[in-house]
Amino acid sequence: MKLNIIQQRGLWWAISGALVLASLVAMAISWQQFGAPLKPGLDFAGGTRLQLTRACTITDNCGEAIDLAGVRQVLGQQGLDSSSLQVLGDDQQVLSIRTRNLDVDERTTLQSALDEAIGPFDTSSTQIDSVGPVIGQQLLVSGLLALLVSFAGIVAYLSLRFKLDYAVLAILALAHDVAITAGVFAILGLVLGVEVDSLFIVSLLTIVGFSVNDTVVIYDRVRENLKLNPGSHINDIVDSAVNQTLSRSINTSLTTVLPLVAIFIFGGQTLKYFALALIIGFLAGSYSSIFVASSLLALWRERIGQAYSGDPDEAAPQPETQI
Amino acid sequence: MAKYRAWLGVILALTIAAVVIITQIPTRLGLDLRGGSQLTIQVQPTEAIPTITEREMEAVQTVVEGRVNGLGVSEAVVQQLGNNQLLVQLPGVSDPEQAERVLGGTAQLEFRAQRPGTDQQLAIENQVLQAHLGELAALQASLPDGTAIDAETQARIERLQADIKASETAIAGLFEPSTLGGDKLTDAIARPTGGTLWEVVIQFNNEGGNEFAEISKAIAGTGRTIGIFLDNRLLSAPTVNVQYAETGITGGSAVISGNFTAESARDLEIQLRGGALPLPVEVVENRTVGPTLGRDSIQRSLYAGLAGLALVLVFMVVYYRLPGALADLALIIYALLTWAAFNLLGVTLTLPGIAGFILSIGMAVDANVLIFERTREELRSNKTLYRSVESGFFRAFSSILDGNVTTLISCLALFYFGAGLVKGFALTLGIGVLISMFTALTCTRTLMFLAISLPQFRRPSLFCPGLDTVRPNPVRP
Repeated sequence: MKLNIIQQRGLWWAISGALVLASLVAMAISWQQFGAPLKPGLDFAGGTRLQLTRACTITDNCGEAIDLAGVRQVLGQQGLDSSSLQVLGDDQQVLSIRTRNLDVDERTTLQSALDEAIGPFDTSSTQIDSVGPVIGQQLLVSGLLALLVSFAGIVAYLSLRFKLDYAVLAILALAHDVAITAGVFAILGLVLGVEVDSLFIVSLLTIVGFSVNDTVVIYDRVRENLKLNPGSHINDIVDSAVNQTLSRSINTSLTTVLPLVAIFIFGGQTLKYFALALIIGFLAGSYSSIFVASSLLALWRERIGQAYSGDPDEAAPQPETQI
Repeated sequence: MAKYRAWLGVILALTIAAVVIITQIPTRLGLDLRGGSQLTIQVQPTEAIPTITEREMEAVQTVVEGRVNGLGVSEAVVQQLGNNQLLVQLPGVSDPEQAERVLGGTAQLEFRAQRPGTDQQLAIENQVLQAHLGELAALQASLPDGTAIDAETQARIERLQADIKASETAIAGLFEPSTLGGDKLTDAIARPTGGTLWEVVIQFNNEGGNEFAEISKAIAGTGRTIGIFLDNRLLSAPTVNVQYAETGITGGSAVISGNFTAESARDLEIQLRGGALPLPVEVVENRTVGPTLGRDSIQRSLYAGLAGLALVLVFMVVYYRLPGALADLALIIYALLTWAAFNLLGVTLTLPGIAGFILSIGMAVDANVLIFERTREELRSNKTLYRSVESGFFRAFSSILDGNVTTLISCLALFYFGAGLVKGFALTLGIGVLISMFTALTCTRTLMFLAISLPQFRRPSLFCPGLDTVRPNPVRP
């Protein structure tokens, strides 16, 4: 298999552009609906989530699925009508309620009222998440800060190891991957009500780490080819660099995505969407490294008149690192 | 080849050490996996104390620690978070509502006079309390770290806890009620008396000074004590000398002396200061996971991740042949080393932490893929097997280094800015990436060179299918 990266670059850019545009549109719609580009989860918006499981060791307790109408009635009595409800689990025996932030007394009252109406619940399977507005703000700010700092760190490192233009283009590719992942989750939020929490920010950062890795491998090869064939046109250099590293790119994506797919399909509730975000981000990352970051580098070098590796720095031997 | 044999020895020794560490030191599981409550407590400034400094946080932390001890949860952790927050971790707590109620609220410090004729009773109750406390401490010390507690031990802890509570209530009943509270105490300072002994100076405001003078006047010389209570628990019960029987201790200041060491004097000082702080604390975050729930989610995610990894191992052998098999071996060594590092460094494994670990295995595979692809390229360009393997490692190095460093940069950012679960993820991924550099470059390399030193493995088809016709027999280096 041989890919014509440069020849068909219009196509690659069109695909990327369309995906990024669609992501931005999804985030804009989401902004109108939720006041944020993605549907904010408990971590960022604050609130209380209770997950209660019926005690199935008690006879006749788990005979039928949890009745949502009964739950709504209880919530109405507590003045919590606007809460969102979900029944989970294979036998519909797990109830998940998300309300405004409740203090310990309100929460205990709600729990015992529910226990009476549709319980009894198994206390050892109860999950409580209660996040005050201060903490929500804090988690969001620290997450975004981590994202920005790692972007800056990566630019600095790549400028040091490569050159500034490689670094800037690599970051452009990263922004592309992050935007597409966020866009998919904006759509999921609009369609399925999927919310993002601090794990989503973690997944974005991991995507950044992995996808820059993909780009670096290709740029590393470009740099090496430039050294070996100083007379070749940058387009040919990039084309062969991408094709030389292609089976590596595919195999690496495959081996990292495999365990993630397993976690997405069979793993616990908490990690499901975390794994999905990583899968989307890694695939977008592979695509942008192979098709976008490479062709952009060629375009840039051509535009600034370095199509034939006119840069003496680059033609000079790089300091080789011993293994 | 002697070099690689030596390396093989090192790798073997490390692997054995790792296995020993894994079996000897238990893995610490996070609250999301073993069940328990994690609370974030925010200290609220008041009009009197508009800014919260390090000194105030220390005092509040002591108060909260005292309350946590009262809950009787083994291995509870209280640590400062930022400028005005405390993180409280309560593994295996059975009643999160009670915990949240006890931990919130302002500290209650009181100075109360002992009731007449209760000396003997006080001594007995104190003995009972000390016995219970000793038993509980011994029980908790005997529990292994980071593992779930069985129901029987849990019940025993709860029973002891109830006994302690009963003793404390009984002791509190032996003292008169009082209006002299922590709000009237302005300061407490521990100081040495000259020898090895220490004392604690307490200072009241005007109103407090007058009330204290009255209480001390009433009990001076009687042998009865002034009970200093923090959240209804007796901290200290000093007597008042007979010379104050006329006037009481006036001037708003008093010295508590006795058998204080530097440490116990300082403890009392901080407890008093914490009790004197009228700072309300509020539970702003509560994350509680029931113990069974934690167990279910760890199992599901672990099995899923392992199944995915098994597929990766199979893929490596099918696609990369002999090097793939060697890389699999190196990956298993990698997994053991990383697991041992977690146990050795006391890393607390959370669910995202396990995800980070599984991802770092993906990174480790990537390094091998880079090397093997490069080796194949060199073989196809008609180099000898030895040279191909050599330059495969050499040329792939800069890619591996750059890729890992950039991932490490992300990990650092996450670890520095992130909180809780996020930190755990960054830590496990970071440790994993560092160790994977070692195993991919050293383990795989050593195994590869040792393998091609054996004639039966020296067939290029074992490295790159379809190459046998090109180069039947490699030349020795």
